[in-house]
Amino acid sequence: MNYKKEYWDIANIAVEQAAKAGRKAGAAVAAEAFVSDTETIQVNVSGRAVEQMNAVKEAGIGVRVLRDGRMAFGSTNDLSANAVGALAESLVQKVVFHTADEFNTLPDAADGGLAAGPAGFEDLDAYDEKVAAVPVQDKIKTALRMEAAGLEYSPKIAGSMMTIYQDGTVYTYLANSKGVGGWFRQSYVAGALELTAAEGESRESGSFTKGVVRWADFDADEIGKKAAEMAVSMLGAKPIPSAEMPLVVSPEIGTQLWSFLAAMLSADEVQKGRSLFAGKIGAEVAAKGFTLIDDGRLIGATSTAPVDGEGVASQTTPLIVEGVLKTYLHDCYTAKKGQARSTGNHGRDGYSSAGGIGTTNLYLKPGEVAPEAIIAGIDRGFYLTVVLGLFAAIDQASGDFSIPSAGFLIEKGKKTVPVRGVTVGGNLFELLKAVDKVGSDLTWFQSLGSPTVSVSHVKIGGAGG
Amino acid sequence: MSKKSQLTRRAFIGKSAAGLTTAAFTPALLEMLLGATGCKSGPGGAALAGAILPEDVLAKAVSHLMAKGADFGDVYVERAAFDSVRSDDRKINTTTTVEKGVGFRAVKEGRTFYAYTDSFEPERVYETARYVADAAAAPAASTAPALITLKPLTSPLAFPIKPLPSETAVEAKIELVKGLTDRAWSADPRVVQALQLLREIIRQVQIATSDGRIVSQTLGLTEFMAQTFVKGADGQLQVAFDGRGAYAGRDFFVGDNAFEKVVDAAAAKAVKLLGAVDSPRGVFPVVFGPGMNGVLFHESCGHGMEADLVVKGSNYKDQIGKPTAAKGVTLIDDGTIPAFPGSYAFDDEATPAERTVLIEDGIQRGYLCDRVWGAKLGMPSTGSGRRQSFRYPPIPRMRNTFIDKGPVPAADIVAATKRGIYITDVGGGGQVDVITGNFMMGVGEAYLIEGGQLTRPIKNATISGMGIEAMKSIDMVGDDLKLNPSAGRCGKMQSAPVGEGMPTVRVRNILVGGKGEAWTDIEGDKGGSK
Repeated sequence: MNYKKEYWDIANIAVEQAAKAGRKAGAAVAAEAFVSDTETIQVNVSGRAVEQMNAVKEAGIGVRVLRDGRMAFGSTNDLSANAVGALAESLVQKVVFHTADEFNTLPDAADGGLAAGPAGFEDLDAYDEKVAAVPVQDKIKTALRMEAAGLEYSPKIAGSMMTIYQDGTVYTYLANSKGVGGWFRQSYVAGALELTAAEGESRESGSFTKGVVRWADFDADEIGKKAAEMAVSMLGAKPIPSAEMPLVVSPEIGTQLWSFLAAMLSADEVQKGRSLFAGKIGAEVAAKGFTLIDDGRLIGATSTAPVDGEGVASQTTPLIVEGVLKTYLHDCYTAKKGQARSTGNHGRDGYSSAGGIGTTNLYLKPGEVAPEAIIAGIDRGFYLTVVLGLFAAIDQASGDFSIPSAGFLIEKGKKTVPVRGVTVGGNLFELLKAVDKVGSDLTWFQSLGSPTVSVSHVKIGGAGG
Repeated sequence: MSKKSQLTRRAFIGKSAAGLTTAAFTPALLEMLLGATGCKSGPGGAALAGAILPEDVLAKAVSHLMAKGADFGDVYVERAAFDSVRSDDRKINTTTTVEKGVGFRAVKEGRTFYAYTDSFEPERVYETARYVADAAAAPAASTAPALITLKPLTSPLAFPIKPLPSETAVEAKIELVKGLTDRAWSADPRVVQALQLLREIIRQVQIATSDGRIVSQTLGLTEFMAQTFVKGADGQLQVAFDGRGAYAGRDFFVGDNAFEKVVDAAAAKAVKLLGAVDSPRGVFPVVFGPGMNGVLFHESCGHGMEADLVVKGSNYKDQIGKPTAAKGVTLIDDGTIPAFPGSYAFDDEATPAERTVLIEDGIQRGYLCDRVWGAKLGMPSTGSGRRQSFRYPPIPRMRNTFIDKGPVPAADIVAATKRGIYITDVGGGGQVDVITGNFMMGVGEAYLIEGGQLTRPIKNATISGMGIEAMKSIDMVGDDLKLNPSAGRCGKMQSAPVGEGMPTVRVRNILVGGKGEAWTDIEGDKGGSK
């Protein structure tokens, strides 16, 4: 993949066309264009053969126009000047019917917007040219190796349910009428594997997912082995009786919890009265060892970019520091509304999304305790490795949860038998305050990272009382 | 909302730039789209939908696709426009997206090779077809493309779109949503936030296959969703959701499906939660109310009957002719119900839609097959091959899935239950592990059953278990079948609109999670019931 001048040009044409349509209507119109140019290869493997291959090359444009405090968004994958001009013009016409909102805005330099022009934004090493250049045959081999590593892990592995290799390279071009603009590039290589293990009557599944920026860092064997290890270790899992006990959260489950938490730290959710973190800036919301950071500039991470989805410089944002809530995640809209500064968290899911607040690379800062030492300190507890439907199971309005779960019983400082068919119940806010140990083993899953964490007590609901 | 942009374990594959998020078009752009195609009534049947690509270009593209020895191939041409009006925090905005593309699939020895282009230029179309043909090439394949002759198919099913989205001005749509916004905010003094989304999608599609079929159809999907947040005197926040969707225009949304009803239901459910007690936990009888609870059986059973998952060893593998549910339970997946969100004249590989009996009186009778995965089972397609857009190859999917009605007067079911919970709306979201059949659903609206009566509303309940076990422990099936044209989208790698339904049904015992007391004396286990 390469920088394409025509895409930089079409972004600027869209902005100019919107302004021109505004002048025709006698109105001041600000506009922004976001072009993404993508190449993706996906290979699904099953039973040591390719099951499906999907090759994608696609580009499209999303346009936002701002007129008298009113904002409209539209997109198309027809990048001809005619189609893009018609889109911009239609947005300028219909935006007058939208609700005016004094906080609607497009960033300029004072808001943190960067003006890099056709030379492009700062390179944060988030792109590896090998990802697009490696021949498809090698990618197929990698996908096959990922499955094979899982199948060969143990004779107890019964089969693979899903093996997916996917990589992508994206060039993003951004321009607005306030001078903000430039382009940047990103790449990723990701794998996901789901296997089953069987022994006697017992049948369990295990899965593992990982994504990296560079082709050379993608370890197919690791994904295969970890998924298989999980499936085999769960064989013979049974419910345990209901009880209150300490909980140890694996890094993978930790990342899911913190990601849920981050959604509630969106300033948009807070300002609209939908988050229980409203009014809590400066308050103690978690235990002392709990420091949660969003870092859009982390070198080598999959969500690293020089700017966010509206051209504001990305940054490192400590959200919760030693248990104290420091800031919400902001974009330019919420910053203007909340008299704050954008934290560079306007995320977009490609050109057809106007975007909204989202995390970049989100992680819980590791502590100093080895994960083994955390488990060693527990007489009887639950080690949580699998949750089903976490986002549905936590009530976003109250933080209450009751999550169907699986994992291992901890007895006298050791992980012993596998457990399934239980629920972990409690409240997310109470759980944050009950975090008593944070491990040293920060582990990344895509753009989410967490070490092992323990919580002093939760309710385990088992079958049979 | 922001949650959507978070990555989950299963969602990473969606991270590519081909965003599936809401977007859309203005009346002017829609006019362009429909004007150019000659489609005036938006039928599901073939005859009235005009061509996007000429038939000879399609025939040539299919020929290129098959030139290197593929067993089967198809070309899927799509033009789509998405228009949405969204009210959030009393602010009303619209979005517009227009997209087009051509997807190419070649199948060789059960393997699928796929690529797409966003160009309708014949040379780009042929080039992409050749790329896919090469990927699927057999070592000793012929290179002389045989010319494929295409024969148009027609269907008796029609899905008229009345009115067309373009027949209503954008300002009128905004006025409509504004009225609904006011209605939501004034539903109760405790409302603190409300969202409404009206989404209209027009997809014009052409499918040409290597066995000579050609289908043209235009699908118009209209969806409306409402979410309401309420805050109690004690500071607790509760939220509830309701929605409807249909392959029809806005004229469909009357009576029980009226937009006003959806808005009122979301508010009423949220307010009820303010007075709710914590759900008990343990294993006990659960009575499912009619209609939208069918989504539970979609998740926990239906997926396991999709041919790709059967091949991969779901719980339903090798079960044809065997009991997979309690006697008296019949499960149907129907793609022919007029206007329902899972209906269509043809699926996305040119097979006519049908009504498929999956379980009949407790016995497994069929699976949901597309062409590729059905062939692996030695079974014909049931017209269940669906794709989200030109960006994806089809996979076996559910359409409108429901448990058929039974003999028990619905009112008798709660009356016969001494202790348990009654779920009106299981819709708190869910997940199913299709390998083991384990499911988990958050419960939206539910009540305690005490002494055969519905008593207090409960909150934060979850139900979980194994689909096949839940179906086997159904002990009462009501006579009040209700089909629900939900605004639900099933998210199995690709998003697809689906409908669901069921009568009142009792499951003798199911694992319920909650923050309330643990219930240990399990009446249902002792076989009390009929």
